[in-house]
Amino acid sequence: MAVLGLCRAFGALLLSAGPRRARPPALPQPCLPGPVLAPAACRRLSGSAPCCTTDPLWKCRTKYTVRPVGMKKTGGRDHTGRVRVRGIGGGHKRRYRMIDFQRLRYEEGAPPEPFTEKVISVRYDPCRSADIALVAGGNRKRWIIATENMQPGDSITNSPHIGRMAVSASEGDAYPLGALPVGTLICNLESHPGKGAQYIRAAGTCGVLLRKVNGTAIVQLPSKRQMQVLETCVATVGRVSNVDHNKRVIGKAGRNRWLGKRPHTGLWHRKGGWAGRKIKPLPPMKSYVNLPRVKAVE
Amino acid sequence: RGARPPAIGRRRRHSRGVVPRGGRPRHRAALPRTPWTVRGPPPQVLAEMVEPRPVREQVELDTVTFAERLHYVPGLARPRFPPWERGWHDPWHSPGPRCEEMPLYKERGCFICHQGVRMLEGVRQAQWLTKTKLVEGLPPAVQGIVDNPALGLQELEERVKHMVSHARLWDTAEAAPKREKYCPVLFENLIHVCRLMSGKYPSLSKRMLARNCRIAATWERESILLQVRGLSGILMNSMTPIPPVASKEEILATKEHVLETFYPIAPTIDLQEVNVYKELNDTGFRDGYPYSHPHTLFFLESANARTDRFRPEQLRAKMLMFAFGNALAKARVLHGNDPKVLEQPVVVQSIGTDGQLFQFMVFQLNTTDLVSNDGIKNLVWIDSDQNLYERAQCVPEVKKGVVMKPAGISGFQPDTFKKFLALYLHGTV
Repeated sequence: MAVLGLCRAFGALLLSAGPRRARPPALPQPCLPGPVLAPAACRRLSGSAPCCTTDPLWKCRTKYTVRPVGMKKTGGRDHTGRVRVRGIGGGHKRRYRMIDFQRLRYEEGAPPEPFTEKVISVRYDPCRSADIALVAGGNRKRWIIATENMQPGDSITNSPHIGRMAVSASEGDAYPLGALPVGTLICNLESHPGKGAQYIRAAGTCGVLLRKVNGTAIVQLPSKRQMQVLETCVATVGRVSNVDHNKRVIGKAGRNRWLGKRPHTGLWHRKGGWAGRKIKPLPPMKSYVNLPRVKAVE
Repeated sequence: RGARPPAIGRRRRHSRGVVPRGGRPRHRAALPRTPWTVRGPPPQVLAEMVEPRPVREQVELDTVTFAERLHYVPGLARPRFPPWERGWHDPWHSPGPRCEEMPLYKERGCFICHQGVRMLEGVRQAQWLTKTKLVEGLPPAVQGIVDNPALGLQELEERVKHMVSHARLWDTAEAAPKREKYCPVLFENLIHVCRLMSGKYPSLSKRMLARNCRIAATWERESILLQVRGLSGILMNSMTPIPPVASKEEILATKEHVLETFYPIAPTIDLQEVNVYKELNDTGFRDGYPYSHPHTLFFLESANARTDRFRPEQLRAKMLMFAFGNALAKARVLHGNDPKVLEQPVVVQSIGTDGQLFQFMVFQLNTTDLVSNDGIKNLVWIDSDQNLYERAQCVPEVKKGVVMKPAGISGFQPDTFKKFLALYLHGTV
């Protein structure tokens, strides 16, 4: 299909070609608000850049669903078809379960108020190290990252309100950082309000809410780096599930192959940097808050 | 500034297993002396290098595109063409009207329960939707038929064992028949055994079996519009209705019963919400049909894969919803569309199976006034998870020369077939 586009594009370059028939809308190019194709993975001819040979076509779905979606493996190849990341390939087939990282997503027609949901089941997800939980509330069901002690039948609350007193949150609830007491263990943190959780999602990880400073909150990530975000950013309370994930023993090379990891090269990299003590100062605190700049007097 | 002394070669051996890196550090020669490198580039070139590139503004009207040139030109913007219109309506290539433009579009959404709906909360959810009270076990009228010794069910036991063996063991050329094959065969065999009783009870011949008949029923439940639509399994109709199973006191006693809700889950979860629908009440048969009263619904879960079959809880919920749908459609035909308490309750039975487990259900529709949560409620008797047999072994399992599980049907329970037959005979005996 890419070859067809290529031929058409080459044909268009011929100066002898007269005015062409308008192309029928057989190749749909919808603008997806959700997963968007990489800007270079497009169908037009572009100069000397190689044309795309593999489109991530399985990422087409815009509507949320609880049913698992079939995935296509890339083998570490990017849109040009060449290996971009080494050591990926093979492994058991996986189906992707669409996880909702934005806990405060309201149903259609529901008011922006605190709501509860019930945990239906907690299960293994082949696409990540943490377990996932199916929760149901109102008229919809969705998958979320499960916390450490989540059991089927639990009730979890999601609230956007920040009160004057800190909420005594139980594990699994989602609150803005401004509503949580200092020192709580949190996970599924977002950097900007409403963006969706992008931090602290791996198995057994947790961040610590260090302090709250006029409208912002400072969180220590599992790598000990500190991060400053607005206090309206929502995070889940508790540690991520599957706590013993780092204690597991692979046992044999075959298990790594089942996970989709191809063997490393056997050459010794003298300057690999893996050996020896690593003593580095902590990187500075990362701030995702745009503080108003003081304008210089001209 | 002499020549560099020749480096006394200290060549390192390449050892296998070490990544070869750059080699000896290359000595870069000094920059050659030209007017450009000594005095700098000439002012024209310098100005060109230093001046910032002009940022092209995104002005849609003034952007020059390669649309007129009819071919790609590097540097010109990519034009945005208007969508192509065919000019005439081609039925093979037209997208069809949008939801909002369809004639049956309504602002108010309707929740539809169809054959593929698997309810999250199972029977509890179906109970809330149909305003029903649950009673465990079969009703006393049906239990009386089961316990009646005059029916001669003992002789039938041998026949039923043969039927099960035929369906599960003998009816195939391969080693074992698949569920898609043995489930309908078992059902046909059981119905055949039931029909043999019509020698004793001639009124049993006034029955008729219908497959793939469509049912449609609409009702409102606390400002939520609900519908049951779709193919309602295998329906057995009779000429005469089943007499009411519950006494008047039991019906009045349902007034105090409170329907259980399951906050935070809404009772319409897993139902399909649509905006394009028709509020229809249709039994699936035209007026004047002699066999007009729905008697029993049969649901066969005959998919091969376990994930495609309904779980027992979901199957019971589906049975309840469709029995209610049939009863409500028949009640609307008999007594009109007004919501009221029925003088003559409508009784519909339902049997669901996956070839081994049987679920029996008797549903009595007492009222069509379903909007409010209080008042008289409908009744349902459910007997769930009745095994007809434990295991059907096609090939004997042998371990180390010892037969662990012999071939044949083991763990046969005649009570399950007695209940099946009792539900079949209910209404005429």
